[in-house]
Amino acid sequence: MTGADIVLEALEREGVRVIFGYPGGANLPIYKELPKHPRLRHILVRHEQGAAHMADGYARASGRAGVVFATSGPGALNTITGLATAFMDSVPLVAITGQVASTVVGRDAFQESDVVGCSMPVTKHNYLITDVHDIPRVIKEAFHIATTGRPGPVLIDVCKDAQQADWPDPVWPQAIQLPGYRPAFTPDLSQLERAADALSRAERPVILAGHGVILSGGEEELIALAEKSATPTGTTLLGIGAFPVRHPLSLHMTGFMGTGWNLKAVQDADLLMCVGMRVDDRVTAKLADWAPRAETFIHVDIDRSEMGKNRRPHMEVVADAKTALGKMLPHIRPPEPERRRPWLTQIDRWREEHPLRYVHSNGHLQPQDVMIEMYRRCADEAIVVADVGQNQIWAALWWNFAKPGLFINSGGAGTMGFAFPAAIGAKVARPEKDVWCVAGEGGFVMTAQELSVAVKHQLDVKIVLLNNFSLGMVRQFQDDFYGGVRSEVDLHDMPDFVKLAEAYGLPGRLVTSADEIGPAMDFAQQTPGPVLIDFRIDEEANVYPIVPLGLGLNDFRELPDDYA
Amino acid sequence: MTTPEIARAQRLRVLTAVVEDHPGVLSRVSGMIRRRGFNIHGLSVGPTGVPGRSRMTLTVDAGHAEVDQVEKQLDRLIEVLEIEDLTETPRINRELALVKLAVDEGSRSRALTEIDRLGGRVLDEDREQLIVELSGEFERVEIALEALRSFRIVDLARSGPVAISKSRDRGPARAPGTQAGGGAG
Ligand SMILES: Cc1ncc(C[n+]2csc(CCOP(=O)(O)OP(=O)(O)O)c2C)c(N)n1
Repeated sequence: MTGADIVLEALEREGVRVIFGYPGGANLPIYKELPKHPRLRHILVRHEQGAAHMADGYARASGRAGVVFATSGPGALNTITGLATAFMDSVPLVAITGQVASTVVGRDAFQESDVVGCSMPVTKHNYLITDVHDIPRVIKEAFHIATTGRPGPVLIDVCKDAQQADWPDPVWPQAIQLPGYRPAFTPDLSQLERAADALSRAERPVILAGHGVILSGGEEELIALAEKSATPTGTTLLGIGAFPVRHPLSLHMTGFMGTGWNLKAVQDADLLMCVGMRVDDRVTAKLADWAPRAETFIHVDIDRSEMGKNRRPHMEVVADAKTALGKMLPHIRPPEPERRRPWLTQIDRWREEHPLRYVHSNGHLQPQDVMIEMYRRCADEAIVVADVGQNQIWAALWWNFAKPGLFINSGGAGTMGFAFPAAIGAKVARPEKDVWCVAGEGGFVMTAQELSVAVKHQLDVKIVLLNNFSLGMVRQFQDDFYGGVRSEVDLHDMPDFVKLAEAYGLPGRLVTSADEIGPAMDFAQQTPGPVLIDFRIDEEANVYPIVPLGLGLNDFRELPDDYA
Repeated sequence: MTTPEIARAQRLRVLTAVVEDHPGVLSRVSGMIRRRGFNIHGLSVGPTGVPGRSRMTLTVDAGHAEVDQVEKQLDRLIEVLEIEDLTETPRINRELALVKLAVDEGSRSRALTEIDRLGGRVLDEDREQLIVELSGEFERVEIALEALRSFRIVDLARSGPVAISKSRDRGPARAPGTQAGGGAG
């Protein structure tokens, strides 16, 4: 077998079904063998960044590692943003890139780049293969590393001569030997008991749940723990779906664009437990002002290095969220209803005083109305992939996600252009699901070339373009925090998106008023294959609440009352 | 020490790591240190008794990060097999410095007396220069170098400190509450 054949055989042995890729000089040997492996479905993208985001969406929607192929040099470098996006959000990917022959590595050969060096900071691990005999072991290790512990992307750079070399009887390793990698931590039971005890005693407890709860499949344990301890529970942006938004104990989303009642609760809590999340600056806003009354801060995460990275916990539990929550549950003593009532009443009052609000009386089409109508139709079944910017926060706040895994977006990296290719990946992974892509026009055109992929494979992705003719989120920041100087945010010279869609071979619709939302959605839902709807939303619509840059959560601003 | 010096001293961590002897492992370790805003003050690498494994001794300034982050972040690297922050544990450390001193008729004998007093060794000499070995605990090497600055130091090569913990374990000890080794990466 050639090295190229061994690569493909190894992928089959890992259970890979889909590859998102793009050929070039340094991976031609692999592409030559590919037709001999009909069980591997290859999706030819239009740009390698698209391949990485598709694999990312595929992984988030399926729970399996997404696989990317790219050639050396520019091909591999085009995947870097996608790898970084997956890395920041702990998504399992395996990228297999071609490299120039090992004999010329380091001599600035044609299309040679130090891809291992470039991807080191944005991958969980990476490899350079110069010898065909390393291929089976490395691929096995790569999938193991990508999918276990805190998941993440792994890149394998395969020299062209290793792809071409012959190894008649490859040896497939059974066991993995990675002495420096032990991803499974058994939580310290005494810490768990202490944490459960503290939660049982707290007067004003709050739980915040992150992506780790979803990745570990721990949502049932989370709901059980929140209910048994009567603890109000919110989520991070990536944790959305880990706790039902309409649950009576729900605090909805936290962070610098979180809901008012969530932020009030976090700031007033005497006990705060963060589960399966980093304590990053988008969650805390000004760190020194975050959760100032929390006498007990409990941090549960699978990654030991998150402990005390930003805020030193009083109790730390290093374990996956599902295991930790499950083991804490029996040690929780339900509080007397009377004891918990003041706190829950207080939170209900905050929920009434600081509801999510938006303008609906100025005659313009409001993005929130679009989201509300979409949610009404899709209830708790469709997958929504949001891009980055205002559109992302509107989708996050105005859908009332009740289940995990239905909301996909680039949280940690905030990569514009993520949503559409990721939605394609999600649809490939879950063909039975309705998949909606919500994007601003700015982010959408960053990867819009992938429309061809959706058309070619007739992938039913419904594109909801929230078109405000500007880099909306940046425009809002300029208006609110940079003295109102609107600098380089105008996007009025965008293409006609309906025509753009048609040029690519999918139908498009234009929506300019609220009464057209329903019919346009009917059209989208009834038309097989991809559809694009260009919603011309209020160009001045903003995201609220929002914490001004540099301030603490207490300083969140809401929709101004005089806003028309 | 002035306040900034004390603060810096607290941020300085001495770590020992056993790493896989792969190409690129040094760049992984140094890349992680740079990326996280730490700063390398000393780094030495050499073979261990086990084939395929090297030992690194690192002296790292944690910068603006929490000091335990240095060990935790390096522990995430898959090719780092074992790592221990020795800053607060009993340990033995040594450093080697080679110093090229310019001397003349007037300073030569004073220099030789001083080198002798400092426990240094003259490895090579001619009319105009001495090459001196200083070795020992790295704090002492620092002091000796300071004393030699009253002569003209033309060149200096230092190994960076190497350290080993005094514990009876074979490898670095484990932080409490975690299983043997490994980062969740
Ligand atoms: C690749 C990339 N470049 C720049 C940014 C900075 N940025 C964040 S939001 C935003 C505006 C996005 O505009 P648009 O896609 O139209 O969405 P909107 O905010 O209007 O919903 C920009 C430029 C980013 N997140 N990603």
